[in-house]
Amino acid sequence: MKILLIEDDRETSAHIVYVLNKEGHEVELCHDGREGLGRARAGGHGALIVDRMLPRLDGLSLVRHLREEGSQTPVLFLTTMSGLDDRVEGLQAGGDDYLVKPFAFPELLARVHAITRRSQRTGENEPVRLKAGDLEIDLIRRTVQRAGRAIELQAQEFRLLEFLMRNIGRVVTRAMLLEKVWDLHFDPRTNIVETHMSRLRGKVDRGFGAELIHTVRGAGYMLRAD
Amino acid sequence: MPTRFLRTEGFRLSALYAGIFSLSILALGAFVLVITDQALRDQIVQFSSSDIAAVRNGYVNEGVREAREIVHQLMAGPVSSDFYLLEQDGKAIAGNLSAMPPRTGTVDIPATVATGNHEVLGVGAFLAPGLYVFSGSDTARLRMVQLHILHVMLGLFAAAMLLAVAGGTLVSWSFLRRTDAMARACRDIMDGDLKLRIPVRGTKDQLDRLAEAINEMLSRIGQLMDNLSQVSNDIAHDLRTPVTHLRHRLERARADCRTPEEYAASLEAAITKADEILGLFAALLRIAQIEGGERRAAFTSLDLGALLDQLREMFDPVAEEAGHSLRLTSAPGLVIRGDRQLLTQLFSNLIENAVVHTPPGTHITLSLRAVSGQAVAQVSDDGPGVPVEEHERVFRRLYRREASRTQPGHGLGLSLAAAIAELHGASIRILKEGPGMSVEVSFPLARDAA
Repeated sequence: MKILLIEDDRETSAHIVYVLNKEGHEVELCHDGREGLGRARAGGHGALIVDRMLPRLDGLSLVRHLREEGSQTPVLFLTTMSGLDDRVEGLQAGGDDYLVKPFAFPELLARVHAITRRSQRTGENEPVRLKAGDLEIDLIRRTVQRAGRAIELQAQEFRLLEFLMRNIGRVVTRAMLLEKVWDLHFDPRTNIVETHMSRLRGKVDRGFGAELIHTVRGAGYMLRAD
Repeated sequence: MPTRFLRTEGFRLSALYAGIFSLSILALGAFVLVITDQALRDQIVQFSSSDIAAVRNGYVNEGVREAREIVHQLMAGPVSSDFYLLEQDGKAIAGNLSAMPPRTGTVDIPATVATGNHEVLGVGAFLAPGLYVFSGSDTARLRMVQLHILHVMLGLFAAAMLLAVAGGTLVSWSFLRRTDAMARACRDIMDGDLKLRIPVRGTKDQLDRLAEAINEMLSRIGQLMDNLSQVSNDIAHDLRTPVTHLRHRLERARADCRTPEEYAASLEAAITKADEILGLFAALLRIAQIEGGERRAAFTSLDLGALLDQLREMFDPVAEEAGHSLRLTSAPGLVIRGDRQLLTQLFSNLIENAVVHTPPGTHITLSLRAVSGQAVAQVSDDGPGVPVEEHERVFRRLYRREASRTQPGHGLGLSLAAAIAELHGASIRILKEGPGMSVEVSFPLARDAA
């Protein structure tokens, strides 16, 4: 996938380019907002990674312009500002996700993958059922079945499983789960994600032979049907 | 100085008062002039009418001769400014005026040669057909009285102006002196002496109230500055420790690691340490933002009981894994105004404190009840608790009890909780009653739901 990175900090952008290249993505890099807007308009990118603070044209305005012109390219905002409202602002401007610097590289990769997947899905009808191997969940009736057997899940466990299934085959990080499943935007000191995940695994994976939920070391979790 | 002086509020006010006062003196003067003019004219007309009555009386009783005799007698009177005329068939037969076309009623004769250049006001009447009599007075007397009044008024006017200017000057001068003192104090404070205060006279006037308000503001700024310098000191001190540890780890890795596995493990540990430091920074930034107060714009009405129930559900597996029990007793329908994310963080911090700092088997209880218009939320445990003398200190930034130094955490959880509580106008305290630790947060209930 070709990714356009608009980031004025040379060191940060060098790291990001390195990580994305290593994952096999082609990166087009530019260091100022106006030039970035021009390149983005030219199109052909699978995703944009945009810093909020840029010379000549700030990231928010850049993305607002693109969205007004009808661009659908998924956008991940980067920022050094940890302002509590910045995230909301970013999403309102048309960003698909938001990452506060400094971030761990697996976090960046997971989020880039998640937003590109999300954008492929838009346009299709929202699915009523999600399937992974012999696991199936019904989003309307909120029921779960594996190998034909009904599984009782608590509300939080269902949301957790739903998020994993929507991102099937992709890494989801702890921070992503905290944000999307529990709406927590800070790092808790206790292992909320781990304990809920272990309960979910106890219900969904234990006693069914092949495991579906996998731990990805140093990154997070992935639901995968081999 | 002069233009600055003219621009003072005191001077403006006194100029305004002087203006208003002058106008009222002028109006009063004009009124007095008109009134006195009218009164004097009435008097002249009255005297003239009685003269004419006397002449008419003489004529009716004894004929023209007697009328002439009475005119002569009247002319011999003490007032030299009176004028008379008795005219028969257009010829003057008595009096000190030349013949003139007869006019009856009140007559104003302008200054002419006939009257010896006096303006005369008087009354004319016919005693019989062809027999005309006029009696009048020089209006010069009237003019003199008016002139006199005018002089008095001008004197008053000048005195008032003088007083106004002098008073204004005095007021402006004292006003300037005090504002100058305030400005000087402000400049000294700007130069760095935050302990200085604006002088207050104790008269409770506007300037005093202004000075008091500025002083309160300065105290608040002083507090914030102290807070800030304390925080930067804390950060400098407390960040040195983990950064030094990180450095030690890396040094040891360089010296001791032999195999790729050993290197990988060391790097992993170093990354974890770096993440801890970043977490500390994030928490500090968050406190600073919350204390900045701009977050209040995002407040909504929310059901505190429902929020606590979500938190109970969220932390239940965590507590269970640590061998604790987590319970919620909640009164329904307690609605407060607040920021959902921040309140979630506040109670998460309290619950996590209870989970992390107590031994397995501890019971953690969340409770919510209404007490005299407040929603009182409580997070309590029956663990070892915190000594009363440390209750104040635990809310301080980066304060970590000796006992908890070995446990995870950066010592910011409770300061963050306190900052969030303050933003919500809530009070937070640790209850003195044991057993264990109980933190109580009292929120004002939302007005629309109270």
